[in-house]
Amino acid sequence: MGTINSAFSLMSQALDADQSALNIVANNVANASTPGYTEETASWQENQPLEIGGSSYGTGATVTGATSVRDKVLTERLDQQQQLASASSARLTALNSIQALFTPDTGSTSSTAGDIGSDITSLFSSFSSLETNPSNNSDRQAVLSAAKTLAGDISGAADSLNSQRSALDQEASGVTSQVNSLTSSIAQLNLQIQSTSPDADAGTLEDQRQQDISQLSQLIGINQVTTENNGLEITTTTGQLLVSNGTSTQMTTGTVNGVTDFFLGGTDITSQLASGGGELGGYLTARDQDIPNVLQSLDQLAYGVSTEVNSLNNAGTDYDGVEGTGTNSAGVTGTGTTPLYIFNEPTEVAGSAAAMSVAMTDPNQIAAAGFGQGTGDNSNATAMASLASSTSVSLNGQTAINYYSNFVSTLGSTVSQAQTENTAQTASVTQLQTQNDALSSVNLNDEASAMTTMERSYQAASQVFAMLNTIMASALNLGEQSTVS
Amino acid sequence: MEELGGRGVHPALKELVAEASQALARLDADRLEELALSCQILNRDLAPGEAGNRAELACQAREATGDMAVFARVLEATRANLNVMSRLRELRAGRLEYGGSQGRMWTRMENGHGDN
Repeated sequence: MGTINSAFSLMSQALDADQSALNIVANNVANASTPGYTEETASWQENQPLEIGGSSYGTGATVTGATSVRDKVLTERLDQQQQLASASSARLTALNSIQALFTPDTGSTSSTAGDIGSDITSLFSSFSSLETNPSNNSDRQAVLSAAKTLAGDISGAADSLNSQRSALDQEASGVTSQVNSLTSSIAQLNLQIQSTSPDADAGTLEDQRQQDISQLSQLIGINQVTTENNGLEITTTTGQLLVSNGTSTQMTTGTVNGVTDFFLGGTDITSQLASGGGELGGYLTARDQDIPNVLQSLDQLAYGVSTEVNSLNNAGTDYDGVEGTGTNSAGVTGTGTTPLYIFNEPTEVAGSAAAMSVAMTDPNQIAAAGFGQGTGDNSNATAMASLASSTSVSLNGQTAINYYSNFVSTLGSTVSQAQTENTAQTASVTQLQTQNDALSSVNLNDEASAMTTMERSYQAASQVFAMLNTIMASALNLGEQSTVS
Repeated sequence: MEELGGRGVHPALKELVAEASQALARLDADRLEELALSCQILNRDLAPGEAGNRAELACQAREATGDMAVFARVLEATRANLNVMSRLRELRAGRLEYGGSQGRMWTRMENGHGDN
């Protein structure tokens, strides 16, 4: 009787275990489309065998719970790659906007930053025309008009770049609240996981935490360190603590030199975040490196053209016979009291592009003639026309048009590199995501197969149970006449 | 082999490096082999006595500095990815096991079902 009872107990446990396993399969199927859900499998445990009279009798197995099918090394690598891809994507978007600014708009009737190259050519061409006919008023007007167009396009480009920088600053600033919300959520989940599942995979809670980490990885660069009792510590890529088990440190912002800086525990971590990755890294790289580099080149162009043109015009005689205050190539200084400047004279390179404008309003002040020559002389106009092919120290030893051409080419190269990097990093994310999906996503075919296996197992246990019942009935009726005996 | 936009007698180094970055990220072994052949051509052209070609290659190398930096970053990422993937393959093959539950998941289909 004892043996039959043991067999009953064993089959009862088998039925329970199969039922539990079936529930896990059902839960997988129900969550097959739930974002972030990780497939679970039943964890089987062999029961302690019974020792009777020196013989060992098996007591079956039980399902101790569900285990998520995840690989932490893979998910962490996926998070790292996501940080790189997000950073390159955010930077590429910003660079494309910058490049669009310097692309000629063939459909537009008004001049824009994309026309700066042709504006430079037009300005020097207008000096050539004036050289041919220095007394012609319309040629003088054409010089001022070309100068205004060039100045307007360069200062317009600088304004647009500053606007793009402000927009990036706002985008970057907006990331802070999302980061703080996610780190708070991860800290809370850490507490729940540590209290409910300190020694094993925490299933859904761990899925939620992983989803938060994935989202955080899209925003900023992070490092993850697993701590005791299934806890997690998250730092920035340079080691500043964001989450330590149940505690999160909130990131704050402040305005420094006109832009938003990011602080953690009172420390300014802006430059670390820029190189760390995530959208924020991309925004900050574009805001603090790419746009300032472009602005600096534009400033240098504006400074070079303005000072070179002003210097030559101030070393000549205007149409009213007034001499400038400058010194010509022969070492002769003009007798004038007021400088004859076409452009507003910049005092330093920084800010020259945004401030570039035409100061001269009277076309007669264009000094086509040299010092001591009649107003019909064209020697100074010739010198100004030759600026088209003259190299300038202010422009790194290049002509203005070559300087601009190289600037556009360098910008294009930077965009091309960013595009290549983004394509490559995104492809890497896809590969890792595919691996992770193959491992952790619910495969309905596998679930169907597992369900069939569990059902058969359940049916087999039921059959054995029925047979035991019959045997038990026979044993109880031993010695009595019955249909069983 | 696909045509690489070239300058003079050489395939442009800049484009070659950029293509290599993309092929590496796609784990496109065939394309990488083709690009390796292009590199061999570049190396061959560095033979002594061809000063003109050497100067042009030096110029191209300077222009490709940024693309090479990108290639280095993609290479680093790909290496890290491959390490993870080969580790996964080892786990699947059962040659590597860490953590009780982690090891079990690879052999779950072979496990008993508690009906014994």
